[in-house]
Amino acid sequence: MQDIFSNLALGLQTAMTWTNILWVVIGGSLGTIIGMLPGLGPATGVAVLIPITFGMNPATALITMCAVYYGAMFGGSRASIMINVPGDASAIVSCFDGYQMTKQGRAGPALAISAIASFIGGMIGMVFLVFLTQPIAAAALKFGPAEMFSLLLFALVATITLSEGNLLKGLIAIAFGLMLSTIGIDGMTGIIRFTYGVESLNDGIDFLVIIIGVYAVTEVYKNFKDTNAVYKLDSKSIGKVWISREDWRRSWKPMLRNSPLGFIIGVLPGMGGSIATFMSYALEKNLSKRPEEFGKGAIEGLAAPEASNNACSCGAMVPLLTLGIPGSGTTAVMLGALMMLGVKPGPTLFTDHPEIAWGVIASMLIGNIILIIINLPLAIPLVQILRVPTRIMLPIIMGLALIGTFFLNYSSFDFIIVMIAGIIGYMFSKLEIPLPPLVLALILGGAFEQNLRNSMVLSDGNISIFFQKPISVVFLVLAAGTLVYALLRRKKHAA
Amino acid sequence: MTMNLITGIIAVAIGGIYLVTAMLLPEMRMGDRLGPKLFPTLVGILAILSGLVLVIQERKPERRSKKADFGFVTHRQVWIKILLTTVVGIAYGLVMDSLGFLIPTTLFMLFISTLINRGRLVQNLVLAVAFSMITYGVFAVALKLSLPRGFIEQMLPF
Repeated sequence: MQDIFSNLALGLQTAMTWTNILWVVIGGSLGTIIGMLPGLGPATGVAVLIPITFGMNPATALITMCAVYYGAMFGGSRASIMINVPGDASAIVSCFDGYQMTKQGRAGPALAISAIASFIGGMIGMVFLVFLTQPIAAAALKFGPAEMFSLLLFALVATITLSEGNLLKGLIAIAFGLMLSTIGIDGMTGIIRFTYGVESLNDGIDFLVIIIGVYAVTEVYKNFKDTNAVYKLDSKSIGKVWISREDWRRSWKPMLRNSPLGFIIGVLPGMGGSIATFMSYALEKNLSKRPEEFGKGAIEGLAAPEASNNACSCGAMVPLLTLGIPGSGTTAVMLGALMMLGVKPGPTLFTDHPEIAWGVIASMLIGNIILIIINLPLAIPLVQILRVPTRIMLPIIMGLALIGTFFLNYSSFDFIIVMIAGIIGYMFSKLEIPLPPLVLALILGGAFEQNLRNSMVLSDGNISIFFQKPISVVFLVLAAGTLVYALLRRKKHAA
Repeated sequence: MTMNLITGIIAVAIGGIYLVTAMLLPEMRMGDRLGPKLFPTLVGILAILSGLVLVIQERKPERRSKKADFGFVTHRQVWIKILLTTVVGIAYGLVMDSLGFLIPTTLFMLFISTLINRGRLVQNLVLAVAFSMITYGVFAVALKLSLPRGFIEQMLPF
């Protein structure tokens, strides 16, 4: 217990420098702006802003990316509330009651409750994060290759089983991601694999390039169909960005209830903000004495998913920081950017670089406070960004994506990869093949194969090693369990 | 053709090519029990099997997925724009080393904004010039990242 507080104090010491606070403000504001733009969510936000973290020390870089992440979470719902266009998938639910409130002339309270709920969700999520990371990281330190392999297997399986969509297509996406991860020189034997004679591929494909391709370039392509969208925004009718005593009375319990729920969903791989928000909305509607008001401007219908969403983004940091396993698209991007800076998140982060691990956690506390300051008094000036037409924003996103690609390796070959990834991402979206499993498999593929091979070396080729270690068995059972659960759920769906 | 049918065929095709390539890799173990071949072989089989099951499932009419629509015909404009962007994007990367950062970036931004924001030349020019100057300022001057220097950059004091 005392440990946690001294660690947190160390974290605050790291986070509370002027440079870091300045970057939290900048990152949070940029994240809020990108989060507001229709279709662009936190993953795109972090992906196009990666270059600004180059040249920073790793702690500042991670702090900045986190600020972008939850800034985008705060911002995502602004567009839902004001113009009924969700900034990203996790802000879809905020349209249901948020936009209805705006139509009733209650945009001010809607903006206020979304910021307040995001703040409360973020703070509660933070507390869970503080108490959970240390024990998980300590346990993970004892993992050998067999445990790591089973854990990675569970993470990959969970990504496709817990998310919506076709199971087989998820498997195919995983297979494609693993294929991409094997391109280049094999670290253990030095054999060149799957380069088909292209020398530039010898070092493998930088997964950040693929990520920028599928999260930024593809998103721009998806918007090509309708580049002339101009949204009407009536900022005079927003009124005071604050809530009444009655609003508070109706929403405090939903916020408190849904924050832990969102956090747990965030910790699980494959379950992101969109699932958290939908579940919270459904839960509140079921619990409410006035379910008929949901969808017609019920403030708790906005408060619950907003709190859940931000708690979820805290939850997603748990597997990233403690195990080095990203559970969502956004944390995958952050992992990639960190590896560029020479930091490997995972259990050793807490022993080797406690100042980074705890600095980030502490910065979330500061970030939450800063973001509520940005999002309450400055709500009205910020939503003016929505007036900037898509046809101006899209070229900027595209330009940033390509500059970002260049900074990764200073290689013009990467431009070929990023453009191809953009087209493939677009085709995948047309075929409804999910992208997050591909990205995750691409990132984790190297470790997945290496741990498999190392386990086999240890056990002298005996596959039973995975069933002899208790922790490994737990993960294998979990993987099998989620698979069975997914198959049963789909059967029920089909019936 | 339905979405799942196409997906299945693609998975089988790519998985097949990948599997054959994996089989042709040299056997080399050096104390490593599995060697570099086994994992890719398993991945290739995973892709082929998943693809096959997906194709077989599509035979049942009640489980069939929607027809795939890439919009090659209905949204031809979109595809033309995507292909143009791809070509110009790759060219942008290729010329950056010799022409420096500012000129290619301005030209690329002028291209992409003209593509998206058609018919507003002045707006696009302002956007292109402002974008390349601001990003140069942020990345090269403020963040001190090294950028390719063409003749314009060499004339600049920073």
